Amino acid sequence: MIALSCYHCGLPTHEGGPTVTVDGAQQPVCCSGCKAVYELIQDNGLDHYYRDRQQPPAETAADTRRVSARRFQADVHRNGDQAALEVYVEGMYCAACSSLVETTLLSIDGVERASIDPLNHRLNVSWYPARIELVDWLNAITGIGYRPRPVTVDGVSPARAEQRASLKRLLLASLGMMQVMMFAIGLYAGDAQGIDARMEYFFRLVSLAVTTPVVAYSAQPFFIGAVRGVAAGRPGMDLPVALAIGLAFFGSVYSTFTHGAEVWFDSVTMFVFFLTLGRHVELRARSRATEKADALRPQLPNTATVIRNEQQVDIPIAEVRTDDLLVLMPGDQAPVDGVLLEGSTSVDESVLNGESHPQTRSAGDEIPAGSINLDTCVQLRVLRTGDSTVLGGIRRLARSAQLGRPQMVQTADRIARLFISAILVLAIAVAIVWSQLDPSRAFVVTLTVLVVTCPCALALATPTAFAAVHSWLSSAGLLLKNADAVEALAKADRVVFDKTGTLTLGRPNIADVRVTDTTLPRDTALQIAAALERHSRHPLARAFADVDSALIAKQVRAVPGHGVEGHVNGQHWKLGTRELVSGESDIQRRSVCLGRDGKCLAEFTLADPLRADAHDVVRSLQRRGLAISLLSGDGEAAVRDAANALGVQDWQAGMTPADKLECIRDWQAAGEKVVMVGDGINDAPVISGADASIAPSHAADVAQTRADMIMLGHRLQPVATALTASRATLAIVRQNIAWAILYNALALPAAAAGMVPTWLAAIGMSASSLLVVMNSLRLSR
Amino acid sequence: MSILYMLIPVGLILIAFAAGLFFWAVGNGQFDDLEEPAMLVFDDDEARE
Repeated sequence: MIALSCYHCGLPTHEGGPTVTVDGAQQPVCCSGCKAVYELIQDNGLDHYYRDRQQPPAETAADTRRVSARRFQADVHRNGDQAALEVYVEGMYCAACSSLVETTLLSIDGVERASIDPLNHRLNVSWYPARIELVDWLNAITGIGYRPRPVTVDGVSPARAEQRASLKRLLLASLGMMQVMMFAIGLYAGDAQGIDARMEYFFRLVSLAVTTPVVAYSAQPFFIGAVRGVAAGRPGMDLPVALAIGLAFFGSVYSTFTHGAEVWFDSVTMFVFFLTLGRHVELRARSRATEKADALRPQLPNTATVIRNEQQVDIPIAEVRTDDLLVLMPGDQAPVDGVLLEGSTSVDESVLNGESHPQTRSAGDEIPAGSINLDTCVQLRVLRTGDSTVLGGIRRLARSAQLGRPQMVQTADRIARLFISAILVLAIAVAIVWSQLDPSRAFVVTLTVLVVTCPCALALATPTAFAAVHSWLSSAGLLLKNADAVEALAKADRVVFDKTGTLTLGRPNIADVRVTDTTLPRDTALQIAAALERHSRHPLARAFADVDSALIAKQVRAVPGHGVEGHVNGQHWKLGTRELVSGESDIQRRSVCLGRDGKCLAEFTLADPLRADAHDVVRSLQRRGLAISLLSGDGEAAVRDAANALGVQDWQAGMTPADKLECIRDWQAAGEKVVMVGDGINDAPVISGADASIAPSHAADVAQTRADMIMLGHRLQPVATALTASRATLAIVRQNIAWAILYNALALPAAAAGMVPTWLAAIGMSASSLLVVMNSLRLSR
Repeated sequence: MSILYMLIPVGLILIAFAAGLFFWAVGNGQFDDLEEPAMLVFDDDEARE
């Protein structure tokens, strides 16, 4: 038998095993896992990996990095013959990494489920211990180059451990700084009044003793960051910092033992203390933003009660399928999205939209996962499960917005990196010039230049502001989907509102029914309309949701901008505008018509009240100098009423999405920045055409909308908040950048000229970056 | 002034002790949540039972 090695992992394999097709030729692989990984890599167009890799992955990889399953055993949950475990996966940087790990695991026989949360790098696995050992699938992860770790180390999560370490570093630096400063005062006084040489040497030795742990422990992250940056070929702001700390510390050590003129232990500890303080504050701000996002991911119940074979059974949530019948007892939290089958109950949906008031839901209404049933025991038909639920959509959004890096942050990053390279070049130039002018001061001046320049202020200016505004927005009930929208919102000139579902709640009710044909009873007309509208996603369709209808509509088709048509009881009915139903034109569009054979048989008058705070919000936007427009597809009368009630002069009715888009294009051509506030689904092209967009969340649509921001809840206030917050963010970013430029422009020449003492440089630099972080934090409220 | 040769090392030992105590407190979770404990006083003990 010929010895073959796996094309993917290099392990020995045998003939007749699984193969993959590489450039038309068959290549052996050792297992279906490798085959799946190869195909995944190829499908993503990454097969150059196989050409580029220097050598096949060392087969020792899997052996030397074997994990001990013992550390994980404590976290394993057993459930019948299945086991579940959450682990933290180290070394993942992107979505491709997580899908590689997931696919690898799922291809293993006995692994039932594997899913990764990219935000916190946690992997959830369910498997059958009878078919595969824990240690085997853990090793499959190590085999492809990632490292599973227990989620908790002695009961502490990695994020918490990071915070604790940061606090320890800060404390050590502050204690060290206070001590060294005390000795430094002695030394400075000694310089002025004269000091016993032995005493001076003693003070320096003591300072060295205190500074060493500060540099070794508190300043560790800067050294690690600098080395990592250099290794990756992208020196970050840690490099000049690490250089400055290292030079100052070792220069002082040298000076101590050679009885040189000066030591800078005080500058070193102070520098480390302020930098550590800045890092700590930044870390706290970031973790607070993450906590807010985590608040949107409540723990859903693990089991659900469903009806199988006319019996109630409790099954794990993973086994609930669409169209199952779910029993929801009072006090239960819905684990999946479902439709209420009969009766009515009140639910608490505060998890989804912050609305703390109980909501009444009756048959036909959707009850999204996460809402809590308050009243009666009800039955739901399951609509969506797992990640496709509304709640899942919100979580995904919150995650993707946090991972995304807005354009402004990327630009700031690039500038900061250029700046860092410039500083390094400048420091070398200063060293050369001063070694010609005054060699005895060359070292001090170069050190001061390195210390005084503050790329941190420049590098932190934008990202900290964006991180901070994130938590402001989420506490105001806004989900930021596209962080670039912040910039566009801040520069907005005009806000365009859609009416239905935006200025109004989109919960219309039937105010009046007028039957024009006596052969059609009023109730039948209502029931036919309700049956048709059950298939429509148009906001007006909700008005009919309360109607009890036993009729079923078939072959229902939506006519965009007009209504729906379909078969009920064998007859072809049309429901919508008068134009659709009878062909007559109707500018008023006050009512919805129901008819067949080109005749209008019944008319429904619908009323959709404005959101309670719509008037105040529109007024406050106008006071801020924004032009307000109202573009609606509704009839003229209804739009005019709404516009008058709100005090909006510029309104147009009866517009199709294409008309709206054209309007927006015209404004944009006139040089205006336009913000669209409207439904993210019906108005998708308009939303994409505007410079920035905000969509109200009609629960079910959250995940699919194209809008940049989504507002939760029943108030319009988030629109005003979004504009305020965006303007504030841009203002803060400008202040930060202006400060960073001003500071560096003043400090750098002074330091290069040798006019700044080292300790002052340390204070200036640290205070400058701290100022930027604090300024940004004003946004997080 | 030679008393300093003794006092300063004694001071350093005290500082080391304080740092050690603080490290223990951090490791013990004393600083993990600085907000909730302040709210605990509003929690009605009887209502909980």
